[in-house]
Amino acid sequence: MDVLSPKERLLRSLKGEAVERAPVICPGGMMNSAIVDVMKNHGNVLPDGHRDSKIMADLALDVQADTGFENVGIPFCMTVEAEALGSDIDFGTLKCEPKIAKEIFPSVKDVIYKEDDALVKSDRAGTVFQAIYNAAGHSPDIPVIGSITGPLSTAASVVDPMNFLKELRKVKDESHRFVDYVTNQLIGYAQHMVDNGASVISIADPTATGEILGPKMFGDYAVVYINKLVDAIHEMGVPVIVHICGRMQAVTQHIANLHADAISVDALVSLKKLKEEYPHLTTMGNLSTFLLEFGETPNIQRSTEQLIQDEINILAPACGLSTSTPLQNIQTFTGVAKAV
Amino acid sequence: MEKEELFRQIADAVVEMEEDTVEELAQQSLEDGIDAYETIDSGLAKGMERAGQLFDEEEYFVPELLMCSDAMNVGIDVLKPHLKSENVSKKGKVVIGVVEGDTHDIGKNLVRLMMETGGFEVLDLGRDIPPAEFVSKAEEYGADIIGIATLMTTTMPGMKEVVDILADKGIRDKFKVIVGGGPISPAFAKKIGADGYARNAADAVKVAEKLLSNTDLALGA
Ligand code: B12
Repeated sequence: MDVLSPKERLLRSLKGEAVERAPVICPGGMMNSAIVDVMKNHGNVLPDGHRDSKIMADLALDVQADTGFENVGIPFCMTVEAEALGSDIDFGTLKCEPKIAKEIFPSVKDVIYKEDDALVKSDRAGTVFQAIYNAAGHSPDIPVIGSITGPLSTAASVVDPMNFLKELRKVKDESHRFVDYVTNQLIGYAQHMVDNGASVISIADPTATGEILGPKMFGDYAVVYINKLVDAIHEMGVPVIVHICGRMQAVTQHIANLHADAISVDALVSLKKLKEEYPHLTTMGNLSTFLLEFGETPNIQRSTEQLIQDEINILAPACGLSTSTPLQNIQTFTGVAKAV
Repeated sequence: MEKEELFRQIADAVVEMEEDTVEELAQQSLEDGIDAYETIDSGLAKGMERAGQLFDEEEYFVPELLMCSDAMNVGIDVLKPHLKSENVSKKGKVVIGVVEGDTHDIGKNLVRLMMETGGFEVLDLGRDIPPAEFVSKAEEYGADIIGIATLMTTTMPGMKEVVDILADKGIRDKFKVIVGGGPISPAFAKKIGADGYARNAADAVKVAEKLLSNTDLALGA
């Protein structure tokens, strides 16, 4: 029987305190859970919802109600930050998430720096803040998670990624200056999310995977700037989830150095092993995105039970959801998680 | 310096990402009267091939591979004006792009890079490319190979569309189609009627070579 409210349960889990069972959540942003089935059920649809705070909040609440995830996750994409810093966005379709049409600067050397509050003052961010405010007011027991695109993914959505990745090594000073600037923008963004009612912040930084960056660049950049962002959010009194994509062997040694309250990982990573190696880590994940889209009910049940048996602290889809994931599969996942 | 020794040093400098050294050594090869094509092939491209191997072995990552490529290009810039024209014949022409709806292009860019290094002429269509455009651009360019990438399950059907359009237009036999990217498997490639699949950029070059040298399917590579 549930004793705690979903919000208490998640906040306690993030503090490492005892809970009667693990929460089951999906944070939004990169881990967008606005699937086609839910949009069709209620008529609050994307891409309109990316630019309209009412649709955004309503859709986030629809998702929560239909899927059984124990949180509201806002926004539904990874483009808010880059658009505010100058890149062109293609808003996609009902089925297909928004994407960066073109990164505005070819090189870190070409960046035109805006005021530090450029992101916070952008229209898109305003929509996000208003949606968070609406959703938080709607149901105080359900935690609203504000989702942020991490420093390196945002940076590589503003500067051409191929040049950016190279310049991390080649033009170090300018690269650090640029990523630091991006991080400062993100700190302001997080602050306003919190002020408007977000009780947890989730950072996903897919470009900062070990497979792409390797251990050296991951240590020199990802750890430094993700931690700067996390530390600033901690000062706001709010816990932080950090999601790391991809296989992690190359960077496992850095994971314990991240200041996050929970580490969320891809399906390829054994959370059980990670827990054994770093017992103090609060782990989150990692039901395969692929399984949720294509799997049979018994397999989803079995995999969820395995995560519970492995004592994963927070249950979640590994790396977000495909928009074509059947609602029923998600309900199977959350149903098993809550039946404990 | 012995020619072979010079080539070895050039390859090393590419692997070590040392642009200045590559430039000096490329200059020296010209002063020594060594054929520019040979220096590219046995020095620069060898180095890049080794960089590709290191990437495959997870010794190098994307930033390093791109730096090696820059070093190689510095050398090519020095040598290119001295290429005798009979040498520039290429292995084949490739158009490559990422399917509509998907903007993940890091992997595709690495494939393009290794293809170019491997001696193919490559037209990069970019990302978020409608299936019909793969076909029209391949026809215009006179491509031998169409390379299609996607990292998202939701955009995989776009790959099949390219193959279907080719078939509908009755020009399927004019091109070899190779596919790749995270969710793509050899089985999927076979199912949609593609000719080849590769799991990484180094293999993509081998598969392309194999496809153009014989007509056997290269799905097992
Ligand atoms: C980096 C990344 C991003 C970056 C991309 C930057 C860029 N410009 O490319 C950013 C942050 C922008 C991003 C955005 C998104 N992403 Co993303 N991203 C990734 C990530 C972590 C790594 C991809 C990568 O670059 N790998 C490194 C390269 C070198 O490897 P590779 O691409 O596999 O390429 C190699 C081989 O596959 C092969 N190959 C590649 N292409 C080709 C082509 C041919 C012809 C051949 C022969 C071979 C070949 O050779 C390459 C080199 O060896 C993956 C997860 C993962 N681990 O794959 C998710 C992932 C691809 N993303 C995902 C998602 C969901 C998204 C978003 C929709 C998020 C969102 N909710 O908004 C958006 C996409 C918007 C859109 N519509 O395009 C999902 C896709 C899920 C699905 N539906 O299948 C993934 C799988 C994560 C996950 N598990 O959920 N992402």
